[in-house]
Amino acid sequence: MNQNEQNFDALKKLLKLKQHEVPPPGYYNNFSGQVISRIRAGEANYAQSMTERLQTEAPWLVSLFRVFEARPGLIGAFATSLCLLLVGVVVFSERSEQASKNLIAISEPTAPTGNVAVATLSAAPIVAATDNSNSGIVASTNPVTSLQPTATLFGQSGGSTLFQPAGFMQSAH
Amino acid sequence: MIMSEPVPIVDSNTPAGMLEGDLVKRARRGDLEAYDELVKRYQQRIYATIYHMTSNHEDANDIAQDSFIKAYSALKSFKGGSTFYTWLYRIAVNRTINFLKQRKNKHHFSLNDLDFNTENNPDLVALISDKTPVREVGLTELQKKLNEALMKLSEPHRMVVVLHDVQGQSHEEIAEIMDCNIGTVRSRLFYARQQLQGFLSEYAKLT
Repeated sequence: MNQNEQNFDALKKLLKLKQHEVPPPGYYNNFSGQVISRIRAGEANYAQSMTERLQTEAPWLVSLFRVFEARPGLIGAFATSLCLLLVGVVVFSERSEQASKNLIAISEPTAPTGNVAVATLSAAPIVAATDNSNSGIVASTNPVTSLQPTATLFGQSGGSTLFQPAGFMQSAH
Repeated sequence: MIMSEPVPIVDSNTPAGMLEGDLVKRARRGDLEAYDELVKRYQQRIYATIYHMTSNHEDANDIAQDSFIKAYSALKSFKGGSTFYTWLYRIAVNRTINFLKQRKNKHHFSLNDLDFNTENNPDLVALISDKTPVREVGLTELQKKLNEALMKLSEPHRMVVVLHDVQGQSHEEIAEIMDCNIGTVRSRLFYARQQLQGFLSEYAKLT
């Protein structure tokens, strides 16, 4: 390896010639300025390209802005219509909320009976589970959820009980 | 009485007096003044490396500028696992190698002039003064032959020679910049030197 290093000594000296190759005078004085200018220009182009992108992806928005530019009075009308729309949505949602509350109020008298039935149904597996505390877990055959109204003890359909509780019990092995 | 040389006063609040880490932090926040200082610190080394790889001033100028711009836009991804200088070098090296791969074998030389110290360099004068058995060549012609020989090397081999024998980087630094191990750097350097010696033996007394 040492022999090789010695063999390359002259070549290494020759390669030093490359260090004497210098760019035109004053080149480095302007270099950083050019880089910073290009960065600034790139940032400006980015902002411009965002506008162009908006123009291609949402031309309706751009034309809307143009209309507003041409007729500033329209901005007020547009803002007023937006506010009216917002108020309308709020009023409508309040009304629909009130209507749903009324529906619940109508169906409420049947709810306690239904709840008792539900409580009875759900209590049974739990009692069974406590009785067989040393056995394994067995899922109840009752469906976990049901979209069908649950039948009550008196044959009335519980309007507010659109579910059936799941029960789990342990079984002996 | 011994007169000491005046020491330049550097204000640590100005970018010129700041540490590299502080400049990088400020540049990451979009401070272009700080980044300008970073560019000034490394422009010569980055440009020179690219120039020695391409043997073309215009290409080197473009790639060097692109590398600094790319580095600025990627500053947020700079985790600080290496020095900013090494990270920047890596960007420049990768861009240069990609450029050369795209350009393939279409070499167009645009060599910089040799500075006025060249003819006073005894090592270089010794290499060309002995006319036998070496062909008589002037320094400018030798410069051209040297660049031609370098361009015959593959990009990784040329890069190792440029970084080590021209720029004076250590094997460890080159390994970090080129993302390879030191053994690879050493073997590439040996192989590249062997090849260069073969290409240039006709023009310079190298053995």
